[in-house]
Amino acid sequence: MARPAPEPSLAIDAREVTKTFRSGWLRRRETAALRGASLAVDRGTIVGLLGPNGAGKTTFLSILATLLVPDGGQARVLGLDVARDAARLRRRINMASGRPSFLWSLKVEEIIAFYARLYGLSGKRLRHRVGTLIEQYELTEYRRAQYSELSTGLKQRVALAKALVNDPELLFLDEPTLGLDPDVSVRVRRHVADLRREQGVTIVLTTHYMREAEELCDEIGFIKDGRILAHGTADALKRQIGLGDVIALKLDPPRPDWLAEAPGVLRVAPSDGWLELTVDEAEKRLPDLLRALLAEGVVVRNVQVHEPDLEDVFVELAR
Amino acid sequence: MSWRAELLAAWAVVVRNALMGVRNVFFFFELLFWPVVGVLSIGLMTRFLGLTPEQGAFVLVGTIALSVINVCQLEVAYAMLLDVWSKSVKHQFMAPIGVRHLTIGAWLVGMLRGFVIFVLLAALGAWAFDFRVLAPGVGPAAAFLAGCFLTAWIVGVLVCALITIFGTRAEAFAWASTNMVLVLAGIYYPVSVLPGPVAVVAAALPLTYFLDAYRAHFGFHPEFTSPLATGFALSAVYAVLAHWAFRAAVERARQNGLLLKMSE
Repeated sequence: MARPAPEPSLAIDAREVTKTFRSGWLRRRETAALRGASLAVDRGTIVGLLGPNGAGKTTFLSILATLLVPDGGQARVLGLDVARDAARLRRRINMASGRPSFLWSLKVEEIIAFYARLYGLSGKRLRHRVGTLIEQYELTEYRRAQYSELSTGLKQRVALAKALVNDPELLFLDEPTLGLDPDVSVRVRRHVADLRREQGVTIVLTTHYMREAEELCDEIGFIKDGRILAHGTADALKRQIGLGDVIALKLDPPRPDWLAEAPGVLRVAPSDGWLELTVDEAEKRLPDLLRALLAEGVVVRNVQVHEPDLEDVFVELAR
Repeated sequence: MSWRAELLAAWAVVVRNALMGVRNVFFFFELLFWPVVGVLSIGLMTRFLGLTPEQGAFVLVGTIALSVINVCQLEVAYAMLLDVWSKSVKHQFMAPIGVRHLTIGAWLVGMLRGFVIFVLLAALGAWAFDFRVLAPGVGPAAAFLAGCFLTAWIVGVLVCALITIFGTRAEAFAWASTNMVLVLAGIYYPVSVLPGPVAVVAAALPLTYFLDAYRAHFGFHPEFTSPLATGFALSAVYAVLAHWAFRAAVERARQNGLLLKMSE
């Protein structure tokens, strides 16, 4: 008897995916949205896709979620080809977006039940699943409220509850906290983190918020002009780009000439009365620098250390 | 997909459309206001023109058919329109369902609404104009209704396909297409009065045959031989074509991104 094929360890294995949108009947216009995007995502991880507007984030996500058909390349999700095995794949994945929208007259519990039925739930299982999700997302008070009456934050919670009706192995979140108040964003992020921790769901999300990506994601893929330019942990990305740490000093005299030649110093630039030294590793270089400055008789009046964050990575890559 | 899953997916659409139907005032107008206005105004016109009871029956059969098909067809079109209006198209097509579940689920609701309209207008016709729409008997009336419902499904599915291709620009088809079909199929007149090329188009429409068959029970000589068989055979062909067109339209929307543009 043939053994079933082992489940691949990668939740997503996308290679050189391309997509060009064509529009116009008489004058055809072509827009290349993806120009060979590749990404590998391990099961049970949270991966963030970052990139400037129009970089191809949503297009890439939509291809992986079977909402768009790629023009070229290969994309396998949970071991299934997104184009050939789309029908089978849809049972195992789901999606929620920022600024969600559902039928305006349906009540919260009816929306969740509608999608649950589409995934084959009925009777007690349906009622239990709907009840559990309503409770989990703190929607009990609003279960009989029509969708059009809900606040933006509540709508987002309905979208997340809907996205879990089929107990997905892989969840796509497209800008899940877009336009939400900070306190609501914190709750949504907590729910997302819980999903991975408690249920082992693999999550791929797009976001514009660097803090959200740093807080939630195990790995980050930076997408620009339809290509994944960099992929890895936040720390790895910072190293990969070679941004370095910044040591800002207030000195007297203000600018010793020899500092640019000191070991580990990459750049020296004056800034608003401060001298900013970009070094490979602040923790390693700072004691030596201070010792050398004291030995030269330079008075150190103030010191600040700034490690690059994801926003710096974003700015650097988006250039 | 198992039969159970097939039925559940269609049932989900039935519940959704039914809930939307009872909560929106424009559905009420579609269900009651326009059909009643149609029968009353046409019925009064037949009196004013001094038509014979047979001629009056001829015209009122067309009027009732228009209302029944329009209501049922709109419901099928709502399978797409509701999601387009609410910008939730992608959620529907991310679920493991096919277009058949959408159209059949919506059609079931449409048939129920169409049947209510039929009964209501039959009662109104009998009360106001002494027109007995059920006089030919349950069998012929059931065949006529089945023909109307099949026509509604075909037109509704084609409207869904057009909306999926052209987006909200194609919305007008949802309200215009049934009237166009009825005009061609002989809503108030036999298709023999139509100009030559238009009569050829009329002969290609299943509804032409269903109207012809039912009107024969009111004393009019049928224009076609075996109209019911021809009507059902044509319906089967168009149903397959319409289903294929909608499926192809959805696949195209997955290619060109319209599925996303019609979503949040």
